[in-house]
Amino acid sequence: MYDHFGTKQNIHRKVLVVDDELINRLLLGNIVGRDYDVLYAENGVQAMEQIKKNAKTLSLVMLDLMMPEKDGYEVLEELKNSPELCRIPTIVLTSEKSAEVKSLSLGAADFISKPYDMPEVIMARVRRSIELAESYRMLNRTERDSLTGLYNKEFFMEYCERYNSFYPNSHMDALVVNINKFHIVNELYGRDKGNHVLQKVADVIAEFTSGENGLACRNTGDVFYLFVPHRESYDDLVSALNSSAGKIPINVRIGICEKTDSSVGIEQQFDHASLACGKHRGSQMCAYVFYDTSLREKELYNERLLREMNDAIKSKQFCVYFQPKYNIRGDKPRPTSAEALIRWIHPELGFISPGAFIPVFEENGLIHKLDRYVWNETAAQIRRMKDKYGLSVPISVNVSRVDIYDPKLEETLLETIKRHDLETSDMLLEITESEYTNNSTQIIDTVTRLRNDGFKVEMDDFGTGYSSLNMLSSLPIDVLKLDMSFMRHICENEKDLQMVKLILDIAKYLGVSTVAEGVEKEEQYHLLKDAGCDVIQGYYFSRPLPSDAFEKLFEEELSCLQ
Amino acid sequence: MLTIDKLNDFGANTSEGLKRCLNMESFYLDLVKTAMNDEQLVKLGKAIENNDYDQAFEITHSLKGVYSNLSLTPLCEPISEMTELFRSKTQADYKAMYDLVMQRFNEFCNL
Repeated sequence: MYDHFGTKQNIHRKVLVVDDELINRLLLGNIVGRDYDVLYAENGVQAMEQIKKNAKTLSLVMLDLMMPEKDGYEVLEELKNSPELCRIPTIVLTSEKSAEVKSLSLGAADFISKPYDMPEVIMARVRRSIELAESYRMLNRTERDSLTGLYNKEFFMEYCERYNSFYPNSHMDALVVNINKFHIVNELYGRDKGNHVLQKVADVIAEFTSGENGLACRNTGDVFYLFVPHRESYDDLVSALNSSAGKIPINVRIGICEKTDSSVGIEQQFDHASLACGKHRGSQMCAYVFYDTSLREKELYNERLLREMNDAIKSKQFCVYFQPKYNIRGDKPRPTSAEALIRWIHPELGFISPGAFIPVFEENGLIHKLDRYVWNETAAQIRRMKDKYGLSVPISVNVSRVDIYDPKLEETLLETIKRHDLETSDMLLEITESEYTNNSTQIIDTVTRLRNDGFKVEMDDFGTGYSSLNMLSSLPIDVLKLDMSFMRHICENEKDLQMVKLILDIAKYLGVSTVAEGVEKEEQYHLLKDAGCDVIQGYYFSRPLPSDAFEKLFEEELSCLQ
Repeated sequence: MLTIDKLNDFGANTSEGLKRCLNMESFYLDLVKTAMNDEQLVKLGKAIENNDYDQAFEITHSLKGVYSNLSLTPLCEPISEMTELFRSKTQADYKAMYDLVMQRFNEFCNL
């Protein structure tokens, strides 16, 4: 760049010569003036005026120390303390050895002794000082994030690697700091305010890492990386970060990977910290979590489940089980319907709980494929019940969040019904309460269309979402399924029982059937029957059954009736 | 008329001084003439009279820089000596030293 501007663009850089002696100014100006435009000042006051006036274009200051009004040391001090002016290099003019040390400590780039060196030496020192300053500025611009002033990721990683090379056995923590739901800050307050928040957060991080002799960078968006000596607690950092944005409320979460093995590289350490940070999302317990190997093992396990899902579907590792629902309105409870529940019998991993794979598939959108598999298997089962026993046993299937937004949902369900020569009333659709409350307009539209097609819709896990009583009267549902959490203490806690009774009464008033999930004890069954519940689903009557056992149950039921 | 030869005869190291001036003779001679018109030596005399060593130090320090840059050796040497003595506030016969400097300075001005 130096050559580009100096020779190719024919732009002269500016140099300021500051000395109270006219002869010295002229002598130096004559030497430097061959290659630079020269400005002059007689004392420190004039010097600062010239510097401020030419701040953007001044390349160098050549500064005498002993001057009236304001001496060279004062000028150096002022330049050093100015964020805008400290970038301008200074060469001190002095014959005093003792002054050299003080000048350098005040930020002088170099010094020229008096009497002056030969012109060639002076020019070489001038050129070198300007080159170094310009290279440093260029480096600073590329190594720093322009918004926050922290390092950018590439330089940060480079410096961390370098640190590790010099101190391979050091005990350092890699931190990944993320601002929870930062997109909401941008949406509520605007992007300018959002950027201001990021700067404030970065300031806290910079101060923290400086105090800890560590490093920090802004990775992307609202994610920051820190590399600091290990400590057991980061409460102070969390507190400072959460209060950094003033009136704008923010909460951070931090994933930390402690380096316990010198063979673990920087990238891997930050990968682990990122994993811990990501897994920590939504946790209210603590703002930071340390990575441990179980997190990585879990991550690898989940990756395996995702990888093997398609083959598992093809090779029928997924089995649909059916948990009977018992109608308890009559004298004797009778199985009249069921819920389809997916099970994964993996050839190597054995039985995999739905709690392990369903959240993973939901997060990745693959639940879409699994649901269709379940709908098809369920429809096939309903068909078999009709063919074998002449029985219409409605079975409910889950409709996930991903499915609700699928514009082809209605078409797919109707195709499934048609393929197995069923009626829409044969397959019940279960949609969780939280989906109703999160996306009520979309849900209402979708469910209304499905009910118009003849499907019956059940609100699943009622009690776990945020629906109000007011909403219940306007939501299109046919069945209310009370979540198992309601059943847990109805035997010993009167308030819990009264709450269940209240919900059953409201459902009755609205003309909606009720199903109580998770019933395990006889006492619960009796209480629910007395309270007016219509259907019970739970281990008290039956666990989820594979197809043959499910069919056998209805065979026995039929033979009892005959 | 001031010439390089006259300055050499005076004892100045003109080749060194000229190098600092990029061998621009007229430029060098202009600077030397400027030094001849400098009134700081008068102020130095007053400072010595008043025993104001701080002021005296500042003046000699300044003149030392100018004379050494112009390689005016006969002036530079006594001024440098006085500078160090003033810096350390050493008791000395500054009047005598000053008289020597003025003698040489007058000789210089008459070149």
